[in-house]
Amino acid sequence: MTSAVSLRGVRKSFGALETISGIDLEVESGSFVSVIGPSGCGKSTLLRVVAGLEPATSGDVLVYGEPAVEARRHKQVAIVPQHPGLLPWRTVRANARLLLDVNRTANGSTTSDPLALLERVGLGSFLDARPHQLSGGMQQRVALVRALALGAPLLAMDEPLAALDEITRSEMRGLLNQLVEGRGVTTIFITHSISEAVALSDRVLVSSPRPARIVADIDIDLPRPRSDDVDDTPRFFELCTQVRHALLHGAQA
Amino acid sequence: MNRTRYLAPVVGLIVFFSAWEALVQIFGIRPFVLARPSRILRYMGRFPDDYFRASLLTMRHAALGFAIAVLVALVIGAAMAASSFVDYATQPVLTLIAVTPFAAYIASVKIGLGLFSDRPVIFIVALVSLPAFAFAAADGMRGADPSSRELLASVDASRWEVLWHLRLPSAMPSLFTAAKYNTGLALVVAYLAEGGAGGLGQIGARAVAGNQGDRLWAAILSMAILGTVSLVLLNVLQRAVMGWHVSQRTQRT
Repeated sequence: MTSAVSLRGVRKSFGALETISGIDLEVESGSFVSVIGPSGCGKSTLLRVVAGLEPATSGDVLVYGEPAVEARRHKQVAIVPQHPGLLPWRTVRANARLLLDVNRTANGSTTSDPLALLERVGLGSFLDARPHQLSGGMQQRVALVRALALGAPLLAMDEPLAALDEITRSEMRGLLNQLVEGRGVTTIFITHSISEAVALSDRVLVSSPRPARIVADIDIDLPRPRSDDVDDTPRFFELCTQVRHALLHGAQA
Repeated sequence: MNRTRYLAPVVGLIVFFSAWEALVQIFGIRPFVLARPSRILRYMGRFPDDYFRASLLTMRHAALGFAIAVLVALVIGAAMAASSFVDYATQPVLTLIAVTPFAAYIASVKIGLGLFSDRPVIFIVALVSLPAFAFAAADGMRGADPSSRELLASVDASRWEVLWHLRLPSAMPSLFTAAKYNTGLALVVAYLAEGGAGGLGQIGARAVAGNQGDRLWAAILSMAILGTVSLVLLNVLQRAVMGWHVSQRTQRT
């Protein structure tokens, strides 16, 4: 097994406040791993540490064998933030290119054409629109394309669907499965939705309340490719129950 | 809606000028104190070339000083946004420039840079316009959306790239607000600083010295027209470069 992400004894404190308390983790290359935990548990901080945006207070963070900060310099991590963060003065087309337009020398050979991706997520007729002309779901699709276009081997998503309505969320869930499956990228997905975590992931990590520790590591053995009605299967319910119990247990521990 | 929009300002101006005309006649006010609009127009009509050329020169003085102030303010603002040391070191200097009455040092600057030259006029306009632009640039750049900043950091964008792609466009709204404030100021400063350097300021100063009411009021009216034209141009420019901004598209409710 090759590790896309490997954390050893990672701790993170902001002054006296400990947000991550000793995490050891190996994420297999090409897998989709969700981290679920109560609000404010430090899971977003964990993502920022993995993305090389925040140094760990102690411990090692390796992304494809190199320290997270180096991986960031080499554009190995594509992030999808909770809020799409589109630049209002750029058109959809230009927003989708943003990550390719900066630090160009680090662009890899695996970049994708943002226009083709925009077509694929159904935004082909909105290329010259500005973000304010799009719905929340459409904006988040642009943010997704912006990350995928980079062609980075690691996708780091911080509750990207949290701000969306229920209907849009389930659409986006299906879209995310289609886009990520078979692309060979590794995904770390932060969420506080149990069904979202189960529907999307190969593996769900359950975090304790702050400081974050991993209290359960649950394999999601639902078949791939995942269809849109995966959440109607009995196995889906069993897995959701398992995750929910782990969350309750983690909160009490 | 559109008819109101174009008709209302015209009605407002007609009422204003009619009241002015009537008051001067009713109270028999001397032309030097307040000339009638019809009389000012008739006087201007006798020397249209003189007033047109003087207006262009004053516009040139104000516009050049204004442009220099914007460029310097962008450099200072970017440095202030990037370094809190520069920020704290620069703030008192800018405040000092803003609160010192420029009318008091006009004579000294003119003697230093040439009594009949354009240089002191442009210099003083630039100096007086600088604080508002620098504060606006610094505030706007500092206020750039944190999640967009993090997004650019996640691919290790350089300082220049962050400045160009994010901070500069983020500063546009506050820069335009400062520009509207500074437009009137720059024209006033140019007028007062011109003296022997030509322009409407020279006509005005000579009219005062020679007790020529018609000549003085023709210069005043020219300044008012110049200010209006400048603000219209600024609004057109703002619409062109800031069409993406909410201020340029919200309908009043």
